[in-house]
Amino acid sequence: MTLQSHTLNDHWRLRNAAAASLAESEQDMRRAIRGASVDELVALIDTFSPARSSGPEWTRTFEPLVERLWAWCDETTMAALAETYRARGMPWMAVAKALSPEQGARAKADLRHPAWARLPALSIA
Amino acid sequence: MAQLAGAATVDRLHDEIRGVRYREATSTFCRLVTEEKRSIRDTIKDAIAAAAPYVQVPSHMMRLPNGEMRGVNYDHTILGWRGAISLMRELEGTKAVLPSVQAMWYVPQGLNVWEQVVCEFPGHYARDAEQCNRKFPGPDDHHDRFDGPAWNPPRIYFEDHPPIEGGSVDDRLARMTWAIAEGDKAEAYGLFLGLAKDPEHRSRLKDSILFAGIIDLQDTIINRGGYQNIGHKALRARALVDIADYLGWDQSHELIYTVVPDLGCSPRLYGLWSEISNICRMEIPGNAAIPKRSDKPLTERELDDLTEALLWGGPFDVNAAVMALFKRGAGILDVGDAVMVCFQKYLIDVLENPHAFLHPTHALDYLNVVLAWVRDYDNPHQVKAVFMAARFMNDAIRSNAMFPRDPAYTLEPRKAYRAWADGIAVDRLLPVIEEQALAQDAPRACALVDSYLARTTERQALLETITYAACHWQNDPHVMRNCASSLEEYRHNRTSRRDDIIRGYVKHQSRYIKRALAHDCYGVYAEHFRPANA
Repeated sequence: MTLQSHTLNDHWRLRNAAAASLAESEQDMRRAIRGASVDELVALIDTFSPARSSGPEWTRTFEPLVERLWAWCDETTMAALAETYRARGMPWMAVAKALSPEQGARAKADLRHPAWARLPALSIA
Repeated sequence: MAQLAGAATVDRLHDEIRGVRYREATSTFCRLVTEEKRSIRDTIKDAIAAAAPYVQVPSHMMRLPNGEMRGVNYDHTILGWRGAISLMRELEGTKAVLPSVQAMWYVPQGLNVWEQVVCEFPGHYARDAEQCNRKFPGPDDHHDRFDGPAWNPPRIYFEDHPPIEGGSVDDRLARMTWAIAEGDKAEAYGLFLGLAKDPEHRSRLKDSILFAGIIDLQDTIINRGGYQNIGHKALRARALVDIADYLGWDQSHELIYTVVPDLGCSPRLYGLWSEISNICRMEIPGNAAIPKRSDKPLTERELDDLTEALLWGGPFDVNAAVMALFKRGAGILDVGDAVMVCFQKYLIDVLENPHAFLHPTHALDYLNVVLAWVRDYDNPHQVKAVFMAARFMNDAIRSNAMFPRDPAYTLEPRKAYRAWADGIAVDRLLPVIEEQALAQDAPRACALVDSYLARTTERQALLETITYAACHWQNDPHVMRNCASSLEEYRHNRTSRRDDIIRGYVKHQSRYIKRALAHDCYGVYAEHFRPANA
């Protein structure tokens, strides 16, 4: 089923434009994350606390963010982030576990992508 | 077995319940039935009567010394009985008694909730959630004194009252529902007792008390702590109606004493009811005339859209989705059945953390109360109730989504075990499903059920298998209540996806957090009733 006056070509062109925009925003995010300090990354992750989150739509992007952290940050940064949240105790344990090396190995293994793909298999939402 | 010396008597059962001697009380309950040949019905009535004075709390909010508030849990003893009574007709032979034995096991642990949360009385809240023995240990390092027995008699927060009679039925029903809304427990209780005497008006009374319970529902639980009731007013009203029908209304005084005063207890929450009433008045002005069923049930596309709104949308998306269905001519139960099956997708595919099932499945139980009310009574507000249930489900899902997902609870996909399940002969599947449900292996249990559903049209034995396995777990009346809700809704659901209720059911019962891993209560049941597979 297509919208009236839209051919399948038109739909596919629109979808390709959205994919290109998303790819650009992912590159932008990659540069921003790679340039961020540990404190800046902590400030971002802190926004996923139930008390600070702007809502479920924001919190649901936690796992996509963690995938990107594992894809784009070095091990020293990830270790510093994990230690920060482990030190905060029980309320932040789910976050600390997501930043653990075991979880990182799993995330990196899951991010393999077909040869023709421009980006790794990152989650969108 | 020294504690079992002497005859099982009703007085003894009362003493053991009041004394929080739940193991002994459960044995006495079983012996009353097996040795003294007392009927299950009478013995359940005895147990409800023993607990009735001790299940009220002054409020479901408690002011803390620092000025903040915390929630005080709702009585769950009566919810266990409602589930147990409902499940009697779902299980064959002596298996049918197991849910009642579980309900009995819980009753002494669920008294005096206010005292339990401040560590002044034993029970499961004091022992488990509040961890009172760590804060106030007794002399014996090897005994958690909050497991019982009680060292004080339980406290009565609401004395029994006489019936209020006189005046027209219309006037008394209106006064009763207003007294509940205003928090006048004594007036609401007295009026209910008076009205309950007259069988001629009983259907209207049942409709009114269900309505009063259903409309009292929080608008959100997100970051609310205890300022909510997660459907408990509705659940209690349903328990009252079902158990009174089972016991006989002339045998239900203590049951009414257990339930009705609490409907007027604080907090009473009408924000969502007000919102939905306004929306319906503005957008669906003829909603009171919408039929229960229409000739326009939901299409597959509409089911998908509703699922999307419930699971991934916000409250306004849910409003728009539900409103569109009513506006295009769907009936109340067409939409209600659809909400029930669409919600299952959350249980089946999204939920992993065993701790995260509790609120969403309260919403499922609330929808069950709503749909039973729609099926059994005529009330001009029933469209709004289905609306409220959809909002409650969406809110519980959103509330869970406020917490970053814990990777430690990641589940293997059920499809990973489908080939294994398909390799088991279909007539051998049920024992394996029971085994995996008892092992709390959700991926395997769900794969087995997927395979069973695909290979046979048989459903009754499957439902009985899941239910019997679920009822092995002790200390938690939510289990029996959810079993009753799931089975009832499966039987009534008319959508193309009603098997999803079974898929959600087995996922819930093989994954939801257990309050105890031991099967001591099952052991007492097996000792007295000797089920075939024990």
